[in-house]
Amino acid sequence: MMNKQLMCGILIIGIFALIAILAPIISPYEPSAIDQNSLLMPPSRQHILGTDSLGRDLLSRMFYGSRISLSIGLIAVGISTGIGLALGSCAGFYGGMIDALIMRSVDVLLCFPTFFLILAVVAILEPSIFNIMIIIGLTSWMGPARLIRSEILSLKEREFIQAARAIGASDFRIIFRHLIPNAIAPVLVNAILGIAGAILLESGLSFLGLGVQPPIPSWGSILIESKSTLGIAWWIVFFPGLAIFLVILGFNMIAEGLRKAIR
Amino acid sequence: MLNYILRRLLGIIPLLLGITIISFAVIHLAPGKPVTLEQSLNPKVSPEVRMKLERLYGLDKPLYAQYTNWLLKIIRFDFGRSFSDNRPVMEKILERVPLTLTINLASLFFMLILAIPIGVKSGAKPGGIFDKIATILVFIGFATPAFWLALLLMNLVGIKLGWLPISGIKSLDFDYFSFFGKIIDLVKHLILPVFVSSIGGLAGISRYMRFSVIDALGQPYIITARAKGLPEKIILYKHALRNAILPIVTILGLSLPGLLGGSVIFESIFALPGIGRLFYEAVMMRDYPLIMAEVVLGAVLTMLGNLIADISYAYVDPRIRYRKES
Amino acid sequence: MSNILEIRNLKVNFYLPHQTITAVEEVNLDIKKDEIVVLAGESGSGKTITALSITRLIPPNARIISGSIKFNNENLLGLEESRLIDIRGRGIAYIFQEPVSFLNPLYTVAEQIAEAVMLHKNKTKKESILEAKALLEMVKIKDAEKVLFDYPHQLSGGMNQRVFIAMALALQPRLLIADEPTTSLDVTTEAEILNLLLQLKNELGFSLLFITHNLSIARKIADRVCIMHNGKIVEEGAWEDIYHSPKHFHTKELIEAYEKIGKI
Repeated sequence: MMNKQLMCGILIIGIFALIAILAPIISPYEPSAIDQNSLLMPPSRQHILGTDSLGRDLLSRMFYGSRISLSIGLIAVGISTGIGLALGSCAGFYGGMIDALIMRSVDVLLCFPTFFLILAVVAILEPSIFNIMIIIGLTSWMGPARLIRSEILSLKEREFIQAARAIGASDFRIIFRHLIPNAIAPVLVNAILGIAGAILLESGLSFLGLGVQPPIPSWGSILIESKSTLGIAWWIVFFPGLAIFLVILGFNMIAEGLRKAIR
Repeated sequence: MLNYILRRLLGIIPLLLGITIISFAVIHLAPGKPVTLEQSLNPKVSPEVRMKLERLYGLDKPLYAQYTNWLLKIIRFDFGRSFSDNRPVMEKILERVPLTLTINLASLFFMLILAIPIGVKSGAKPGGIFDKIATILVFIGFATPAFWLALLLMNLVGIKLGWLPISGIKSLDFDYFSFFGKIIDLVKHLILPVFVSSIGGLAGISRYMRFSVIDALGQPYIITARAKGLPEKIILYKHALRNAILPIVTILGLSLPGLLGGSVIFESIFALPGIGRLFYEAVMMRDYPLIMAEVVLGAVLTMLGNLIADISYAYVDPRIRYRKES
Repeated sequence: MSNILEIRNLKVNFYLPHQTITAVEEVNLDIKKDEIVVLAGESGSGKTITALSITRLIPPNARIISGSIKFNNENLLGLEESRLIDIRGRGIAYIFQEPVSFLNPLYTVAEQIAEAVMLHKNKTKKESILEAKALLEMVKIKDAEKVLFDYPHQLSGGMNQRVFIAMALALQPRLLIADEPTTSLDVTTEAEILNLLLQLKNELGFSLLFITHNLSIARKIADRVCIMHNGKIVEEGAWEDIYHSPKHFHTKELIEAYEKIGKI
């Protein structure tokens, strides 16, 4: 079941998860601790990743930022997958008008460039961590919905065939339990990729000032400063972006590894 | 084929309706009415004036009436006036469309020029050295946040090395350049934005081409081509590639929403006056008419893009273009 | 009469992710000039792989382990690419089961037939298309003008197979290898195609290696029949001999099946 990609991905995400959980313990400084004497210091022994324009330690902010970014990603995907599973299975199971209605809605929603829709909603409701989770979740359920619907449709067909055979000795429930894991698999892979996508969305939003608001540190909101310190403080650009990159890479590896393992 | 086109065109109507309904619903999620914002800037507004404003915006009528009024207006492309400078919204959008269009088209072009050959070479020898390297690069490309890349490149290529400008579309002394110089200046300003916005798509398209080529090479007609005594190069470029590249048209249509969404960030980072930046500014200022217009137009553009892509595909694939009568 | 094709001790392996299968084992096969040899056997007996091995058309996960394949006294295994390409099409041609899958869906009939002509005979596109038209008429296609510019999916199975035959015979090969060409066709069309092949063979002069699992075809056209089972040739001879005194149990099975379905 295991392969190198899967292990590597789990390792990377595992490290970040640990960092997020242990952030208060392992952070050398308070993330909001302002130090007038160490403004915009490059990486050094006192500040491993340097400081920002208010003298706050970047490493500590990054550690706390991982909590924000990872939890937003997880919850947003939880919401989108939840809604997607619910609507998708209804559509697949009941068919007919319900299916048509839900699928038309999916088609319409997919016409909107995701960012446009999210920004419009953010303009209406004020940006906050809670709102962002919900908004990202509400605008990303279409993918999982389609997936689960097609899985259920093919499941229905197989079930039918199985029902015919089940007049014999085969246990209906056992087969059902066999088919369900197969149906869940693509949804799981999609969800994992979705977490990476949600984190990317959140950091983009925060970077534009429409997501997590400073001074709360998310990797995206830390990057806001990088624009005004371009050319002066490379570490403010480099490290938060690197973190986002690694996390996305990690989740992608898990998803690819899972795909290979399932085959 | 004509049937297909007609069916697709008919299918647009419910989509358009859906788009307008959702856009309308989203805007009216606002806890306060749009008028509230205007008033709050001017506390001396009396209740009579407030009522006049509400009637002006039709906010005193029931929701479905508001929707119908609004719908009738936007069919004539009347999206109202911007809150910030009272100019007609359509005018503000239209003047910025050419730039965003240019950048996105250039990105698409750049993507295709690179991604197709890379994909073909990878697919022709899967598991080979080129393929392995390309796969790793694509993986990295997928994981790289594009705006991070933009910032890094701005830092490196723009500031440290000073090779390329990093903001706006023209330099300060633009007006003093010769015609040729003006063109070069524009191009220089667009290199970084175009490059950065095509990275994601490049990775995706090359991956898709690779898969498509491998699939095409496994088809029975390739055996026939070999049996006929055709050299490998012709088999790859004439037979396999033609079949593999067919779905690219659809892929292009699908990348449109991504490009539009991306333009919001890139135009903000690179200070380019396109519709993405306009949208960002509108959101910051809660300029509702502008926001609504962009949301609707963004969706409509995406839908049109998909439509064109589907019809082009039907045209290019003889199996659809010439439906078998029997 | 000399042998146009001589296969000796052919062994071909298939390399799958969890196992290696020997698809063809110790196969010896001779085909004389203008002879019709029917290679019969059930699915999976290795007939197709044997046929594809002749001009090295086997899939990438298969490999010819040992043996020799001599075509006009030239060993095809170990031949360099350019010479092999020359022999494909000009010396040895193929027709396949389900021609619509084996034709490129994006090119017209004319383009696909003209392709080999242009390359191997060095003719211009116009000349090649004219030749394609003549070839279509040779295979008894009535609206040759129209069919020339049709796409494979627009034609029936029988038409497609005629097109394929025209394409295969375009360069006047000495050996035509037919891999179950009529299996997916209805009975009437099958008879037409078989008659066409016999006719063309007499007119143009070529050897025919016909692969099938249907013994009634063997009865109809074969000079010699080879029965293949599990990668080996288990029996060989004229139809009369095999039919009346089958030696191998598998031959007997095939004959039984043939009897059951009914003779055509």
